Amino acid sequence: MAELYPSLVQCAIVAAAFKVLLFPAYKSTDFEVHRNWLAITHSLPVKEWYYEKTSEWTLDYPPFFAAFEWLMSQAAAYIDPGMLAVQNLGYDSWETVYFQRATVIVTELVLVFALSRYVKSAPSWDKQAAHVASLSILLSPGLFIIDHIHFQYNGFLYGILILSIVLARKQSTLLYSGILFAILLCLKHIYLYLALAYFVYLGRFYCLDPKNVFRPRVFNIIKLGVCVLGVFGIAFGPFVQWGQLLQLKDRLFPFSRGLCHAYWAPNIWAMYSFTDRALIPLAPRLGLSVNQDALNSVTRGLVGDTSFAVLPEVTSQQTFVLTFIFQLIPLVKLWFHSGPNWETFVGAVTLCGYASFLFGWHVHEKAILLIIIPFSLIALKDRRYFSAFRPLAVAGHVSLFPLLFTAAEFPLKTVYTVFWLILFLFVFDRVAPVPERPRIFVFDRLALLYLTFAIPLIVYCSLVHQLVFGFERLQFLPLMFMSSYCAVGVVGSWVGFMVVYFTA
Amino acid sequence: MAPSTPSSHRPRKKRKVPSAPGSNNNLILDIGDGKQTPAFPLVSFLWAARAGVSQWLILPLTLMAVGLFRWAVGLWGYSGFQVPPMHGDFEAQRHWMEITTHLPMARWYLYDLQYWGLDYPPLTAYHSWLLGKIGSIVEPAWFALDKSRGFEDPHLKVFMRATVIASEYLIYIPAIVNFLRRYTRMQGVHAWSASIALVAILLQPATILIDHGHFQYNTVMLGLMVASLDAILAGRMLWACLFFVGALGFKQMALYYAPVMFAYLLGVCIFPRIRILRLINIAIITLAAFTLLFAPLLVAATNPEARALFATSPQPPLLQAFPISLDKNTVAYAVLFQLTQTIHRVLPFSRGIFEDKVANAWCAIHTFYKLHHFDVSLLQRASLGATLASIAIPCGIIFRHPRASLILPALSCVSWGFFLFSFQVHEKSVLLPLLPMTLSLAGDGGLNKENRAWVGWANVLGSWTMYPLLKREELRVPYIVMTLLWAYLMGLPPVCLETYRSRESLDDPNPQFELHILTKLIHFAFYFAMVGWHVLEAFVPTPAGKPDLWVVLNALIGAGGFGLAYLWCMWKLITQCRQIDLQVTEDENRKKKQ
Repeated sequence: MAELYPSLVQCAIVAAAFKVLLFPAYKSTDFEVHRNWLAITHSLPVKEWYYEKTSEWTLDYPPFFAAFEWLMSQAAAYIDPGMLAVQNLGYDSWETVYFQRATVIVTELVLVFALSRYVKSAPSWDKQAAHVASLSILLSPGLFIIDHIHFQYNGFLYGILILSIVLARKQSTLLYSGILFAILLCLKHIYLYLALAYFVYLGRFYCLDPKNVFRPRVFNIIKLGVCVLGVFGIAFGPFVQWGQLLQLKDRLFPFSRGLCHAYWAPNIWAMYSFTDRALIPLAPRLGLSVNQDALNSVTRGLVGDTSFAVLPEVTSQQTFVLTFIFQLIPLVKLWFHSGPNWETFVGAVTLCGYASFLFGWHVHEKAILLIIIPFSLIALKDRRYFSAFRPLAVAGHVSLFPLLFTAAEFPLKTVYTVFWLILFLFVFDRVAPVPERPRIFVFDRLALLYLTFAIPLIVYCSLVHQLVFGFERLQFLPLMFMSSYCAVGVVGSWVGFMVVYFTA
Repeated sequence: MAPSTPSSHRPRKKRKVPSAPGSNNNLILDIGDGKQTPAFPLVSFLWAARAGVSQWLILPLTLMAVGLFRWAVGLWGYSGFQVPPMHGDFEAQRHWMEITTHLPMARWYLYDLQYWGLDYPPLTAYHSWLLGKIGSIVEPAWFALDKSRGFEDPHLKVFMRATVIASEYLIYIPAIVNFLRRYTRMQGVHAWSASIALVAILLQPATILIDHGHFQYNTVMLGLMVASLDAILAGRMLWACLFFVGALGFKQMALYYAPVMFAYLLGVCIFPRIRILRLINIAIITLAAFTLLFAPLLVAATNPEARALFATSPQPPLLQAFPISLDKNTVAYAVLFQLTQTIHRVLPFSRGIFEDKVANAWCAIHTFYKLHHFDVSLLQRASLGATLASIAIPCGIIFRHPRASLILPALSCVSWGFFLFSFQVHEKSVLLPLLPMTLSLAGDGGLNKENRAWVGWANVLGSWTMYPLLKREELRVPYIVMTLLWAYLMGLPPVCLETYRSRESLDDPNPQFELHILTKLIHFAFYFAMVGWHVLEAFVPTPAGKPDLWVVLNALIGAGGFGLAYLWCMWKLITQCRQIDLQVTEDENRKKKQ
């Protein structure tokens, strides 16, 4: 067995050195959000956690994440008690910055551990590909931009997700996989988007006999049921006891927000909005009626919610139905698969991520990681998978650029992402084996065309536009181009992956 | 950068390739059972490239990676941030952009000398002018005359940091890449080792910390120097002169390298046979380069306004010493005034023997015996004598044996001599001896244990002696990160003991590649002292009345270490020279026998 270099730990060390250097970089309001949560969990009794509203950034993650913040606040008390006062809005002494940034790096060790388990779990002929894939996740520009500059704890959370996916690889550890996923749901409820795949997989291959659908395995059902309910019981039980469940629901699922987030995530609705914008000048000729309200009040996708001038409005119920339908399609195959197949399961998780990202209500651009990270685990299965992954890797990461808009971070995000793309697309290309079935030629060419289009677009959006129009005028234009371009990539890779998934 | 080829199926014989003679040795360790491991972590990162990956891929990736580290260091503080009224080097550079873009050339070296008057050679002034012009297009307020003093703004910082990176990527990096390509080919070093050496050289902590943290444009001067070395390797002596004058014209500190360049260029004209024409050519091109360097300034001095200005300004000392007295209104007087004023500003003899606490001989002696009892001129003469004595041997060797392969050890040795004994040394001057020393990593056997241990140790020590400076500027974290990262990548203490561990190689025991026990002892003593000093400095307050005690201790340890580094470079130079001589005589004997 050949040793694999550089090892995960070596990469983690060098990456950590780089991330420490980024301590003074731009940090978004999420930094203050998490500081506020540290303060809330540290200085208030649990009963008041979900009622506290001194800051506008109220606690809106599930209880385990609050407990995680409480745990960190115990250490924070030794660093700078100032950050633990609820009244200290916007407090960012250098101790606070160092501490919070350091916790992101330290908790990311969970990801390193999960990835090393992933490589260990891979069969020996697949070790090298698994190693490359795990390095690509560890060094992912997505985590780099969102966690270490913008500020969040995705490295830690995705570490748990990967660990849970890896545990699903063996029949004997399926139960632990389910428990871990339940814990993950109690840390951050965005993973509900992937829950159906888990539900189907565990239901079909753990609770029912893999060979015979009509033979339930009662003992397994009881074990899984008790454990999962137990996890949820620990998380939500106390709040049920205090009669705070409705308050938690309101905090965790704020439905008052609009269809599109402040900046359009590159999904179907971004393309829908783009079509709507494009139709405004054409509407009189086509005999369509234009909603004047929308025309005047539009923030043009830059801030707040978007409403449509020409095309019909979209309701949250419609988006849910669409998401559900597109999640069910891949799950049908998972259910009827003969015997548990881990790759099909990861494919189904990825496709659930796709469906919710593309059709979901108020999707954040950051949710792209829900697709990219599970997909990375199987992207190197063969070249067909890889060619579906390629446009996603480009579009998904480029779509994160608008998260960082300050001048000092511009070189960081672009150079790092380009570095990652060149390095890993090249290495993936070398490592991915030739598929058993022939590839679709046209699709590959389109993907190449798509990739080459990225560079002029980035140059236009980040440089040429400002030179031509200045900083003030038509600010929404580069954002709209960017998200529409990325939406094309994400949708394209989704279609491509659907084909690969169903023909595999 | 990432693994891509498994090594198990490689034939056993091929493993010998990297350790074949004439290559950069011992990058791959054989740990038995047919297993191979990289000798130090940096090798792991390029492990996948060992089977030969296109330079078109490795080079851009390397440059992007090291660029990211540079930019990330730039996010931290800089010299003089929020320290009115004088601020620091950042303000000095910004101020020069301000005065060069707004004032006629005649006033560049005269304008308000008390507030960061221009005291770098003309090329820096032209460079500042260019950057100032570009910056004024973006935002004129950054460089408004007088009004912009002490201007601090995040966008200005981004612009200034970007100019450092741009200057570096336009001059230093192409020079290093070209130099390494030629040097490794000349020394028969494998392209893979060359890539590893390139990463090591470009991640050298001291240079990154000073240029991108503290804020200076040293890499421009160093880059011109490397370009000059590249020209020497290529045998293009005239280009070498031109680039060296460029380096000297950018920053007078390049004088540290001048004796070797002079001795070498003179040597190639005399040995093995005297070539008068070449000597004349070199002399002419050097003079022409200097003329070109000063031409814009001197031409600007001839216009009537400038003449009127010079006629009323106080004379620079050099002009006072001028034997012939000139009419103050003539063109000749104006030109001479401009020239002498520039030289007077650039050469620092009007200042003290050392600035702050610097890890050289004078500061060390001063600790035990106060030097300010002596007359300045006596000290000047003493330092001149000591410097000359310290550089005499290496200059003699390089003059008698003008070989391109000896030029790196000679340069390091001479610049250590200057650093230790010359007048008015800054702690930042340590970059000069470190450059040729670090470049030697790319040479034959440059990445073997001995060279790596010494070069690594000198680099770690170098950035450690700059800690008191970096600490003042809130650059503690970048200092810790960059120094430890480099030590880790190179397999050095305090992070990694790999280099100092003796490995029993089953296949071919190569005892000559193991470190001498004395080397290990010396290095460990220094690493121990450095770590111990950091603990002291962080946790123990200095005794009353001696607030600078830790800084002085730092300088003392540093001076000792640099003295050893000087001796080691000298020893390397002598042994390499003898080796070459032996080879030459052997070859001659063989020819005679035939």
